[in-house]
This record gives sequence, structure tokens and C-alpha cells, in this order.
Amino acid sequence: MSDQNMRFLVVDDFSTMRRIVRNLLKELGFSNVDEAEDGQVALHKLKNSQFDFVVTDWNMPNMTGIELLKAIRADAQLKHLPVMMVTAEAKKENIIEAATAGASSYIVKPFTAATLDEKLKKVFATMGK
Amino acid sequence: MSDFSGMDDLLQDFLTEASDLLADVDNKLVELEKRPNDKALLNDIFRGFHTIKGGAGFLNVDPMVSLCHRTENLFDKLRNNEIELTLELMDVILAATGVVRDMFAALSMARMPTAADPAILAALDDVLQGKSPAAHSSDEETKVEAVPVQAPAQATSQAQPISADEGPDWQQLYEALTEKTPAPVSPVLEVAPMKIETVVDAPQPPAKPVLADPMQALKPVPAAPAPVASAKSQASTGQQLAAQETTIRIDTARLDQVLNLSGEIGLTKNRLTTLRTDILSGKMDPNTLKALDEAIGQLDLLVSDLQNAVMKTRMQPIGRLFQKYPRLARDLARQLGKDVELVISGEETELDKTMLEDLNDPLVHLVRNAVDHGVETIEERIAAGKPPKAVVELTATQVGDHILIEITDDGKGMRPDVIRRKAVEKGLIDLEAANSLDDKQSLQLIFMPGFSTKDQISSISGRGVGMDVVRTNIQKLNGRIDIQSVSGEGSRFTISLPLTLAILPVLVVKVMDQPFAVPLAMVREIIPVRSDSIQEVSGRATIVVRDEILSVRSLAGLLGWPEDHLPSFGVLMQTAEHSFILAVDSFVGRDDVVIKPLQNIRPKGVAGATLSGDGSIVLVLDMEDLLASTNADSSAIKTGRFLTEKIA
Repeated sequence: MSDQNMRFLVVDDFSTMRRIVRNLLKELGFSNVDEAEDGQVALHKLKNSQFDFVVTDWNMPNMTGIELLKAIRADAQLKHLPVMMVTAEAKKENIIEAATAGASSYIVKPFTAATLDEKLKKVFATMGK
Repeated sequence: MSDFSGMDDLLQDFLTEASDLLADVDNKLVELEKRPNDKALLNDIFRGFHTIKGGAGFLNVDPMVSLCHRTENLFDKLRNNEIELTLELMDVILAATGVVRDMFAALSMARMPTAADPAILAALDDVLQGKSPAAHSSDEETKVEAVPVQAPAQATSQAQPISADEGPDWQQLYEALTEKTPAPVSPVLEVAPMKIETVVDAPQPPAKPVLADPMQALKPVPAAPAPVASAKSQASTGQQLAAQETTIRIDTARLDQVLNLSGEIGLTKNRLTTLRTDILSGKMDPNTLKALDEAIGQLDLLVSDLQNAVMKTRMQPIGRLFQKYPRLARDLARQLGKDVELVISGEETELDKTMLEDLNDPLVHLVRNAVDHGVETIEERIAAGKPPKAVVELTATQVGDHILIEITDDGKGMRPDVIRRKAVEKGLIDLEAANSLDDKQSLQLIFMPGFSTKDQISSISGRGVGMDVVRTNIQKLNGRIDIQSVSGEGSRFTISLPLTLAILPVLVVKVMDQPFAVPLAMVREIIPVRSDSIQEVSGRATIVVRDEILSVRSLAGLLGWPEDHLPSFGVLMQTAEHSFILAVDSFVGRDDVVIKPLQNIRPKGVAGATLSGDGSIVLVLDMEDLLASTNADSSAIKTGRFLTEKIA
């Protein structure tokens, strides 16, 4: 499942952050990456094009990451898509909220390529089952 | 000396984006004072700090993370109505954004910023703990400064509430909730920052291993507040050069247009190459020549389109500049006990990026000036029957190929007679000169070096070195500044700027068959020079144009060339200081030129060179420099002597 051609969608309103995540993914060998600046744009892209993995920020204007996650899980076409929440919130209630909404993984900023790799592998392992 | 080697690109991106974000936060804060309960505003500000914190975290700028974390939490509490926004709290928040901005300044010089003033951190902590932001003494400040790791350590512990003890709990919880294999729950790994070797040099405190990681990155910078402080206080010095952005964000549609046009130019070039082969092989029938004419016509259009398109990539909305000012006006007004609202319009007006940067200092000065000198205190306004809140308007509009920026206040206005009297008192002009000035000319006096209408030097609007510097800076951008003022009703400063500096409209003149270009913006009119129109006034050659006595300077004389014949034309030039007539042999006409700077040599009075239509090189003159570099009096007298000899 951990195919290097997997198509990622990185969602963050802060373009620097999208670039950071994109660079980290590239470091791990994933270079098929598209970006979206908020949940709305992301959802539109997801519905109109094929993606294999979503990495999304939490706090965004228009549509937050958690709203995006809920929308993905509620969509028949998209509900199996792995979604990794990226956020600076390490608060328990946030993590619970993300888990309840069906996040595949949760990663706290700032993180290294190694941490990201480890988290991705965990998700791939679950998906591969 | 960079603290961020290997991450320069990322740092640049972060600074560009985060600075915009911070300016936006600043404006929203000013808005917030008017609508303290606006949830959307509170949310936006919260998200602003949150995003800056996130980016700073990846760059390991811990002082910024620690500060933004506090402000973020503060706004979280504010939006949840857990605490109330008071005036004191507002001051603390605004101070905090100021510190973040200083940190950006340090970062732009690739230096790790120093930790925020502990007094600010402590004040924020007080508010977060439900206390009012008590004034923290400087004693405390020095105490904490000695142990700079301490403050961020607290922040870290708040930032990462999942401690080692809580970890397992969470894991169970997660498993219970999701009923599947949890994601790894090692908070230690999750908070591990990206490793930057130059930064990670503090010893790892053993006491709190889980929380230690971000702390590690905190480089205690003991006594290096210099870059931050100077960047703040001397906005126009070399320090700021380093802070100027070297990257630019461009709408991809604009880049596509450039690409399209260059493609089309390529096609037209191919057409021309084919035609050249035809013509060289002797095929010169009317059809071929017509095709050549068409192809060249096409190329003409395409090249000018391409020039425009490339120029557009350099255009930035002036809003990026304007958005810094409401906060500036607000702070100043508060300091002066005035109630001032800065109303901005035309933010979308676009201007060349380099001009935008050079425009900041003059605009800051004019905004400060309007708030400090322009508008009255609340009491004065009420006494004058005006609404207590003063309004300063800052607008930008594009008019033809110019940008107009206006700063209008509804304050007390300027009185021409007072300005004249002051100018005489300060010895800037003599009484006779003062009496000959009309009201409009009198207002211009405030642009004279050394003029300041306030008897008391104010720490806010400078020391009377301001307005002349403003005008000089505007003129460097080939722009001009005008004043209108009605006593009791207010003043308006109007800045007019060309859209770009890349292309300069010039007048091409000739001296002894050598062409020279002078900036068209300075040219008022062209008059014939006849020997009988020249009058000698105290040894100088002058010509009277509509009752205005103007000295005649021959361009040959200014260039140090022999003056052996009478120039035929006079170009009436208006420079910053005065008007004069530049005497030349002939003129070619107006042209739009692209100035190429001269490499390695810098002849006095020459701004650069350009190519004329026939392929010859034309020097573009820098009139200010040319006049300054020539001993003004001797040149004029020499011209005078020559001219008077001719007359005789």
C-alpha cells in the first residue's frame, strides 16, 4: 500500500506550512502531492480528482480540518480515505475529537520526517489489513 | 553567521507570509477595540497567532512559539468569554504583537530572536491565570533574564499538556474510542522538533525529559538585543535593507501570460527568420515585404505586451503597506490622548514592488504627522464644534499611468501666514521673499530642510527633518507631493507616483549632436532661446518666462564641455529645489526608455544608459546629481559670461 506514487492532498491555510509538509513527504519519497488552502477547497479537489491520502491542518478559515474530516467520513465516495490531522493542539479534548470523527492519525507540530514516516507507516499498516 | 543555514528559503517564505498575517492581526486588533465582542474577529486573531506559532515551531524559533502560544491561548479564552477584553489587556496584546514583529526583524537577518521581554510574558501569564495584567517591574525582568530558559519552559509545559504521566491514559482512551490500533502515542516523538544543529546546543535538563525537547532548541542568547532594537528604531537605515523582502508572490495567471507572450514572440521570430532567408536570397516582391511589415508590426505589439506583463509580475497591492498603518495611528493617538480613526481605501491599487518598499517611510511619516500635528485633541475638537473622533483618510487610486496617494485629515489645517512667519523666524527665507509668496507657495515651505511648525520638538513626529526627507524620498521615486490645506478644516497631502520605475518617460535632447535623456517628469515646457530674451541678473544669465525669472544653465556647461555657440532651445526644468532653464542645441522628442545602470563606472550626473531607436547609446541624466556635482554658481556665471559676450 505504501506506494511511492500515492497521491497526497496537503491542506493548510498557511502556504509555508504546506511547503514544509510537502518537503517532508518528498523526503520520504512521496512526490505526488497537491495542496489546498482550506477544507472547502480540499473537499472540492477530493470530489473531482483521485487522492490516496489527506494530510490536513486543524485550524483553517471557511472550513476547518475537523469539519473536513467529518465531511470526508460522511461522503460515500471518500469515507475510506486516510486522513491525518496535523495540528499544534496537543490537548486531550482535541485528540479525542479527532479520533471520534475518524482521524486515521494525529500528528503534533512541529514534527520531523522520521515522525511523519512512522505515523504514515502505522496508517499504511492499518490500511493494508 | 546565519542561525538558519539550509533553511533560508523556508525562512523567507515564512517571513513573507507570517508578516502579512501579523499585519492582518494588528489591523484586526484595532478593529477589535471598536467591536470587542466580535466572535469572527476573535477567531481570526486566534488563528493568526496559532498559524505563526505553528510555522515558528518548524523553524525552531522558540521565543516566538512561546510568545504566540500565550497570545493564542489568550484569544482562545477571549472567544470563549472566559476573560474580558480590557484596555490594559489590549495594551499587553499590542505590545506582544510588537515583540513578534521585532522577532521577524531579527529573523529577516537570519538571527535567532531573543526571548520576549519577561515582563510581557508574565503579564500574559497573569491574564491567562485570571488575574489582571499587573505591571511587572524591571527587577523581575532582570531576574528572569538571567535564566532565559525559564520562561519558555513554562510555555512548553502549557503547550504540551500531555506529559509522560498522562500518555498511557490517552492511549487507553484512544483505543476505547476507536476500537482499532491507535496511532503511536508517544508524545515525546510528537513534540520532537526538527533538528537544527546550530540551534540545539543547550544542555538537556534531566528533570522533565518529555517536555525538554522544544526547550533544547532554545538557544539562550544572552546580550544581543542590538539587531532587534535597531531594526525597530531606525527604520530607514541599512538594517532595513536586510529586512527587505527578496521573494515575491505572483498570481500564476500573470506568469502564464508572460509565458504565452514569450511563446508568441518566439513564433514571430521564426516568421522573421524565414522572411530574412527569403529576402537575402533576393526575393523582394511586394508580398514578402508586406509580410515583413506585418511580422514586425506584430513583434512590436507583442514586445510591448510582454513588457507590460512582466511589469505586472512586479506589481503588488498597496494594501500590503497600508495595513500596517491603522495600528500605527491608533498607538500614536492613544499616546497623545486623541481619538483618531484611520480610514483606508484603494488597498487593491497596485504599485511596483520596489516602490512599495521605498514608500513606507514617507507614508509612515505622513500618517504620524496627520495624527500628531494635523488633528486636534478631543477637547479642542469639541470646542471647535467638530466630532470628538478625528478621521484621517488614506486612499490610493490609479489615474492613467500614475498612482495617487492621498492622506487627508479633518484637523486644524495649516495657516499660510503662520508658516511664512515661522520660516522667516527660522531664517529659512527672508522677509521679502516671504511676502512675495502666495498661500499655495507658503504651504510648500514646510518641505524646506529645518522647518518644523512645532516650537516644541516632539518625540513623535520628529525634529523638523521630516517633511523635506519625505519629499526627497518621493522624488527619488520620480513622484511628487503636494499639499492642500484649509485652516480649521484640515489638510491633504497628495503623492503622485509613476506606476513603475522600470520604464522612464524621457525627453531626448542634443548637445553638439550627442543625445542625452532627461526625465520627462521634470520637464515643464520647451522654449526657444534667443539672444535678445536673455537678461543678465547679477552676473547670471536669466530668461523671464511669464513673469518668473529663471536662471539659464547650459547643458554643455554642466557637462564641462566647451560653450562656443548659443544654445537654441531651453528646457524648463522643475527640480525639487528650484526651476531653471536647461539650454540645449536641439531636441529629438519624448521616448519611453529602460534604463540600464552603468557597470563599474559612475560618472557624475548620469543615471544610466539606454539605447535609442537607431541603436545609438543615450546617456540618461540624473539632473539632481548633475546640478549638485557642478559648482552651481560658477557654472551659471560662466554661462552668463558666455551669453553676455554673445550679446555684446
